[in-house]
Amino acid sequence: MVAEAADLPRAGGRAGRIIPLVAIPLGFAVLGFLLRLAAYLQAGWHPQLATYPEGLCRWDCQWYVNLVNGGYDTYPAPTLLDAGNWAFFPLFPAIVGGIHALTALPVMDVASAVSMLFAGLAAIVAWPLFERNLRAYTLYAAFLLCGPFSIYFTTFYTEVLFVLLTNCTLLALKRSRYVTAGAFTGLLSATRIVGVFMVLAIVVQYLLDYRKRGGTLRELPRELWRQPEIILAVLLAPVGLFAYMAYLHFYMGDALAFSHVQRAWGRVPGNPLIYLWIGLTDLPDSGFWPSTNQWLGLAAVFGLGMTVLLALQRRYAVALFCLMSLVVPLAAGMASMLRFVVALSPVVLPAIAFLARWRWLFVVSLLAFIASDYFFTVGWLEGWLALV
Amino acid sequence: MSGKRGLVLGSIVAVALGELAVAWLALHPNVDEGYRAYYIEQSTTCLDKPVGGQYPMGQTVSFLPDDQAGARQLRVCGWDGPAGDGTHSIGTSSMLRFAVSGPTDGLILRLMLTAITAPDQRDQRIVLSGNGVAMGEATIPDSVTTTLDFHVPDAAFASTPGKLDVVIDYPTATEMTPRDSNTHYRSIKLLGVQLRRPDQHASEGPQEDPVALRNHAGPDQPIAP
Repeated sequence: MVAEAADLPRAGGRAGRIIPLVAIPLGFAVLGFLLRLAAYLQAGWHPQLATYPEGLCRWDCQWYVNLVNGGYDTYPAPTLLDAGNWAFFPLFPAIVGGIHALTALPVMDVASAVSMLFAGLAAIVAWPLFERNLRAYTLYAAFLLCGPFSIYFTTFYTEVLFVLLTNCTLLALKRSRYVTAGAFTGLLSATRIVGVFMVLAIVVQYLLDYRKRGGTLRELPRELWRQPEIILAVLLAPVGLFAYMAYLHFYMGDALAFSHVQRAWGRVPGNPLIYLWIGLTDLPDSGFWPSTNQWLGLAAVFGLGMTVLLALQRRYAVALFCLMSLVVPLAAGMASMLRFVVALSPVVLPAIAFLARWRWLFVVSLLAFIASDYFFTVGWLEGWLALV
Repeated sequence: MSGKRGLVLGSIVAVALGELAVAWLALHPNVDEGYRAYYIEQSTTCLDKPVGGQYPMGQTVSFLPDDQAGARQLRVCGWDGPAGDGTHSIGTSSMLRFAVSGPTDGLILRLMLTAITAPDQRDQRIVLSGNGVAMGEATIPDSVTTTLDFHVPDAAFASTPGKLDVVIDYPTATEMTPRDSNTHYRSIKLLGVQLRRPDQHASEGPQEDPVALRNHAGPDQPIAP
């Protein structure tokens, strides 16, 4: 049975519509916070209430905390490690660091609160993207704040800001506001390197809209001269990246340090398909449970499969963004592919809309999300490497 | 031209010029030779770092986890760890630095090391030079632990008195997993080092490191002579 689209009740006026929109993510934020606390008390290192949510901070999260506390590395890095922290993009740590400096609250308390706020905002921005479908909205809020991968969206990872800014850009593109989309992409490009690829989506969406309005290729230069906003949008898109590059140059001498430092992390540029094949065929040492590389490979296959679906639905702009956002990291290996895929909004939003399409599937998915928040957090704390 | 269109065109010019300027900066990095060689040209896997090389002549320094402070005075680049079985070489060469005072004739460098267990069980070859002057080479069978002595030629100090940079090249360094970066190739695990004059006692292993002895004895325990 296919249910009709579930919208908010019209009664109660504007406030009557806004309150549920805020209450739903807020409720999931509280529930997720408690579930992860329970997981932490179960599986954390020397767990105590006082060390929550700090105790959830593992892997790259610890690099971000160090970045807030000590800033970017000079060269040579004070730790004398080859791997300086230049690969970690600045916008989210700068926001957390700014609030930390103003309030003097512990970094992880600030980071967790800001992450949950951004996750809630990401859900609210997605409301019009879901065509005001309440079930999809509810499921998406649960996914971000109380789902299997909530650890990325509620601790200290840039993924949450990446999702929020991606949703903002998608909304701006949906409304054909190209300069706004360019400005959001400018912020996106200061959040994660792949954010800059949203510029391709802006260009493609503009051309699709232009053709829909009856525009021809021959008339395009005259149209660009008459209405040059799209050129400004394209130039704004990499502004965050360029600002970071300028900072790096004047701070430590190499504007491309964020890329060059990949060598110290052991990343070798190669054929993404070969990396994918190596990942998928990396059989477990024993048993039937897939190996870490296989999980990462399956995540990449899911992301690429959804990208093909988007293209088949003629959503070429976001399909191109997804393709670049998956293929470029994949060209340096399988590391963190699961995290990259679940933070790719154009892939996640249609998947969530599908799960919300039938009432029974919605209920099953919601319960599965909530239950898996606890179990995936335990897995995170116990070092399940696929989550890293 | 309307005000809004003028603003857009002005913004386009300003942003484009700014981005061109940053692109120019990106093409002209202001970095030293070591940074350029490791990160940009990728001609070495050994990133030269400002290590002082403070070292009391003749002392054994453990490269096991029991004397990290001592080892860090000497390890310049191409090392990872220490793990429980030693400090692992990473890449295709490593460097150790010793600040040397007093006479430098006839110095002997002793390395206590283990060849890695390579996926193809290959022997590991190491080639040593001191301040650019050849010191010798050796081959260590797969997984074998051994002690090797290398004489430091007097010529090594001709151009750089007071300092000995020992470069260990690994022609047989190997990737441990498919498509490993050459910055992560492995060859040996260093257990301890000693640089001594010919009349000094030859080390019998990392257990002779006084700091390691102190660590093993505990903070309040006397160290047996």
